[in-house]
Amino acid sequence: MPARPLADSAPDIASADFADLVRRYQSMVFSIAQHFLTETAAAEELAQDVFLQLHATLSTLKSEEHVKFWLRKVTAHRCIDYQRRRKLPQVSLDEAPEPMSPAQSSDPLVARRLQQFVASLPEKPRLIVILRYQEDMLPEDIATVLAMPVATVKSHLQRSLALLRDKVTRTMGEVTI
Amino acid sequence: MTETNKNPNLLEDALRKALRPEEAPEGFALKVLARAQQQNSAAQEAQRTSWLSMFSQPFVRWAALAAVSICLVIGGVHYRNLQRQRAEGEAAKQQLMLALRIAGSKLQLAKEKVNEINTSRPEPQPQNRSPRSRS
Repeated sequence: MPARPLADSAPDIASADFADLVRRYQSMVFSIAQHFLTETAAAEELAQDVFLQLHATLSTLKSEEHVKFWLRKVTAHRCIDYQRRRKLPQVSLDEAPEPMSPAQSSDPLVARRLQQFVASLPEKPRLIVILRYQEDMLPEDIATVLAMPVATVKSHLQRSLALLRDKVTRTMGEVTI
Repeated sequence: MTETNKNPNLLEDALRKALRPEEAPEGFALKVLARAQQQNSAAQEAQRTSWLSMFSQPFVRWAALAAVSICLVIGGVHYRNLQRQRAEGEAAKQQLMLALRIAGSKLQLAKEKVNEINTSRPEPQPQNRSPRSRS
């Protein structure tokens, strides 16, 4: 997608443009926070803070692509900061509760279980998985957002997928997902 | 062996479904815009306060007082000059009007004299042609 300029006079972007950006990217920002924190209230507050920061720095952003990149980056970093500050309890993959019965493919519980498994991953791998599968971002783009080598991103992805596959196999049995 | 082990893409597809973007809570955008508005007001207030807080320093306070005093003195002098020029102009105007009135009355007097002379002088007789001209 070609970079769309925000406004002719970028340094003095109108508030109408900001409102438009909020409506367009609220789902993206909120979902990253929600999948990372798994707390709706905290995710909403964090997403609001991200947009307020965008409001304060909007004049420095040149295009909508730049805004999108900036939103992903700031949301990702804020998620990690929030988690460290609040010291949210992190359930390891092994401690995640087992389902009562094998799940069915159409069962929404399967999705919920997967979300729980993702939420139990360590910070960086969790963010990488969220950005990869929620935002469909390439490892190269994730590496840019998180300021880490591409090889590290790929390695985190492979290890996380292996962990998740193992957990799914152990807890859900012969489920077709 | 599970399905996910048979086909690794299945797990990735399941992850895409599980991590599908969710709708933001209702009224999210409005809340953000309201907070942004508040942020703007707070920033303006802070800017105003910082401007005023500058005067808490004694040097700035004295400098401001001196500047205001100088401005008042210059303004006062300028105003006085303006008043004086206006008064001079008014006096010159009055003098001119007086001169014009005097000149007007003198002219009227002269006109009356001329009229008097004209009315008191006898009518000039018509002159006959001299006989020499006939020869």
